[in-house]
Amino acid sequence: MNATTRTLWRDGLWTNNPGLVQLLGLCPLLAVTGTAINGLGLGLATLAVLAASNVLVSLLRHQVAAELRIPVFVLIIATLVTVVDRILAAFFYDLWTTLGIFIPLIVTNCTLLARAEAFASRRPVIDALHDGLAQGLGFLLVLVVLGSLRELIGQGSLLAGADQLFGPAAAGLTLQLFPEQHGLLLAILPPGAFIGLGLLVALRQHLHTRRPAPRSAPSTEPAGTSAPGPETA
Amino acid sequence: MRSFRQHPLPVLGLVAAAAAVLLAGVHQWTAGPIAEQAEQRAHATLTQLLAEGSYDNDPIHDRFPAWIAGLEPPSTIHRARRAGEPIALLADVTTTEGYSGPIRLLIALRPDGEVIGVRVLEHRETPGLGDRIESDRSDWIRQFEGRALGDPPAGDWRPDRRGGAFDTLSSATITSAAVIDAIGRVLAWQRANRERIFEIPASQE
Repeated sequence: MNATTRTLWRDGLWTNNPGLVQLLGLCPLLAVTGTAINGLGLGLATLAVLAASNVLVSLLRHQVAAELRIPVFVLIIATLVTVVDRILAAFFYDLWTTLGIFIPLIVTNCTLLARAEAFASRRPVIDALHDGLAQGLGFLLVLVVLGSLRELIGQGSLLAGADQLFGPAAAGLTLQLFPEQHGLLLAILPPGAFIGLGLLVALRQHLHTRRPAPRSAPSTEPAGTSAPGPETA
Repeated sequence: MRSFRQHPLPVLGLVAAAAAVLLAGVHQWTAGPIAEQAEQRAHATLTQLLAEGSYDNDPIHDRFPAWIAGLEPPSTIHRARRAGEPIALLADVTTTEGYSGPIRLLIALRPDGEVIGVRVLEHRETPGLGDRIESDRSDWIRQFEGRALGDPPAGDWRPDRRGGAFDTLSSATITSAAVIDAIGRVLAWQRANRERIFEIPASQE
């Protein structure tokens, strides 16, 4: 792993995490994280789309004129999301029913267009792939951590519905740590999502500022793109 | 020769064509499995309410649309028969009286109007409160089994919190009322149409 790759992974997972630092893709992030498995399912779908769209955008970067970039990127992202949606419906029907509208809505996840525009359209394919995987994994981890917290506090279980993702044999993975009726209902409801995400952002910020700055090269981000911006979709 | 970059439209066309080809391929590949999954799901719900072997037709396709007062139109009525004789009707209905969003129910009745069972197919009620209408979260939905219009009388198809005859889920009166009301409406519709329900030809795809 060379220095660039290492920086890309550190950016995606920590320094410039899409969920906790860029605060992109909040709509699905807050909506589906009622359980860890829902978070994992949407996280994997987003990861696959992000990695594939980064690679395709990077491959086409010399062919696509500047004024055509956005339409082409949107077309690529929408196509990939449709492919993932159909595959989930065909082979993970229960999970697909649970995640519902949030699979097609991956199209509107700003992380995808942001990575295509700010990174993949200017970088070689291999970097774009690493960036897509790192950013996707960063997003997935936030989904899973927030989903686990809300599920644990709200209904006292972990990995409920594991069979939806891993087949009937995985139903035994579900842990019921305390009876469901003792859960804190607020955690499952939408306010719980906001409070949980706020706490995670604060925790990350706390750990980040306490840690000495890494000695290696500065972020590979072009100036301006790593600043958290307002959500546009 | 000018480079690709100066011909934006062909590039857009090519990308669009490639996307269309890819999607057509994926559709070819997944359409079968998706239809199969949906069918399996419908079948699994059905057999929760009707014992396997109590019917010999295909209730999923022996169906027709119905307009039932007070419910989201159209409802779908499925029929189960054995050797041509009516066994049960299954009403797939949606009520909009719930607390948050539509509630879709599958209500199974005997031809004489007795409730065999009720299952919630889709809902967006509050987790922890309204979602106890699901059969795997509480037994609340089972209180209708064996009841009919007249047992209790039509006016009592309301939650006890509102002076009716049925148990109310605590902190979910609106949800409870919506489900009870929908069942009552299906029963009233069944009573009014009981002569015709098993005569109407099944709708074609």
